Amino acid sequence: MEKFFEFIEKVLMPHMTKISEQRHLRAIRDGIVSTIPLIIVGSFFLIIAFPPIPALADLVKPNIGKILFPFRLTMGMMSLYASYGIGYSLAKSYRLDGVSGGILSMAAFLMTSVPQAVEGSGWMLPMDSLGGSGMFVAIIMSIFAVEILRFLQNRKIMFTMPEGVPESVARSFEALIPATVVLTIVWIIRHLIEFDIQRFIMDLFKPLVYAGNTLPGVLVPILLITFLWSAGIHGVSVVGAIARPIWLVLLNQNMKAVTDGAKVLPNIGPEPFFQWFVWIGGSGATLALVLLFLTSKSSYLKKLGKASLLPGICNINEPVIFGAPIMLNPILAIPFIIGPIITGIISYGAMALNLVARPSVIPPWTLPAPIGAYLATGGDLKAVLLVLINICITTIIYYPFFKSYEKKLIKEENEEVSA
Amino acid sequence: MKKILLVCSGGMSSAIVVKSIEGEAAKSNLDLIVKAIGSGEYEDEVGNGWDIVLVAPQIRHRMKVFEGRAKELNIPISVMAPMEYSPMGGKKLIEKIRNMF
Repeated sequence: MEKFFEFIEKVLMPHMTKISEQRHLRAIRDGIVSTIPLIIVGSFFLIIAFPPIPALADLVKPNIGKILFPFRLTMGMMSLYASYGIGYSLAKSYRLDGVSGGILSMAAFLMTSVPQAVEGSGWMLPMDSLGGSGMFVAIIMSIFAVEILRFLQNRKIMFTMPEGVPESVARSFEALIPATVVLTIVWIIRHLIEFDIQRFIMDLFKPLVYAGNTLPGVLVPILLITFLWSAGIHGVSVVGAIARPIWLVLLNQNMKAVTDGAKVLPNIGPEPFFQWFVWIGGSGATLALVLLFLTSKSSYLKKLGKASLLPGICNINEPVIFGAPIMLNPILAIPFIIGPIITGIISYGAMALNLVARPSVIPPWTLPAPIGAYLATGGDLKAVLLVLINICITTIIYYPFFKSYEKKLIKEENEEVSA
Repeated sequence: MKKILLVCSGGMSSAIVVKSIEGEAAKSNLDLIVKAIGSGEYEDEVGNGWDIVLVAPQIRHRMKVFEGRAKELNIPISVMAPMEYSPMGGKKLIEKIRNMF
């Protein structure tokens, strides 16, 4: 176990964190994360439009179109919002003007679309590619736009205003040449040469998205996240930097299937799968451990259990990870890593066999897991059952390790008293 | 009065630690203002007159980024130890804060 922690601290952690701290990946993560409020609220309109109760469903049916507009204009255009966020974050990281970077990125992304003339309505933009399926297009175009901006500004290729001109005015002039270059390049490639940038980028990332939906594709992030957390590093924020775009593309396909009226959704592996079925109580499924702590005869563990219960129900588990601690603890790190693998396999299996509905909604991550799982699956009660089963399983897995750790602590506590 | 800024990933878990610090500070009559933020807010927030920055252990791999900005502003910055970063870690953190003044 010593060797294992050494491997994580010296090999896995430096590499993984270096990747996740890479400037572009960080901008992608921050940009996408900034759209999450829209995704959460927008996805809730899916539940309202397709409520799990039949009587209610009949009631809203005539108005489904209207109810879904907030969904279509948030989640359905998620990549557009993300492109602004990514461009803003990336420009900021270079100490360039964030707003210019964001707007330029959005324009570069929109330029990859071809407006369609619709009789009687004027020009329309096909919305399909603005949603989650265009996520990788948004990422690539935003990086392209901001890199052009940086290239030109570094070489001082820009209009400089005389002193005394208000800064905001000067800035908008500074962005003129970058905007000209970005728009012209995309225009030539997409509209003159008619090279379909969107198709090309989507096809390029297709294998990655496909892999993210397989059982190994689900287990690898689970393992990496618990490995990192067992060294006390925020695993989700590191792994999410790479996986989040994939999760969003998968989620988007499921949401689209819901609005199309599909009974079975195509994907198992969007983020809610991890959040509600695997990370019950936080990464490592620590709610089970907190429950065990509550029964402990060690006064320290009992106190910690009480203090960690509410945060744990809300899926915040730093108190347990650092308090118990699980971090670098050769006893508790084992079930912390094994438990989520087992519940991950079980949950994947349950969804693959269609015993439990697949996730299509992103509820706020601080909800208690059974409620979150119910909402995430569009209201499947069997999802609640699966969560409860997973809590039982992780409790059983944690139990022997908890007992052995408790014994050690009680011994230490007794020694302290007698000393 | 001293102003302490706590940084974690999303500003959630550090909020728990803020409570613990405030509790201990009240006990020892220490006048502190403590705020928890997520790492995304750090760049914009750190310049708002904070005296000390404390970074949560789970994002210590990003310390270099945080440190760079804090050094520019001449604000002492430090990573919290795992056992300090817990609902029961307030006492230890108060000691740490005292040593950083």
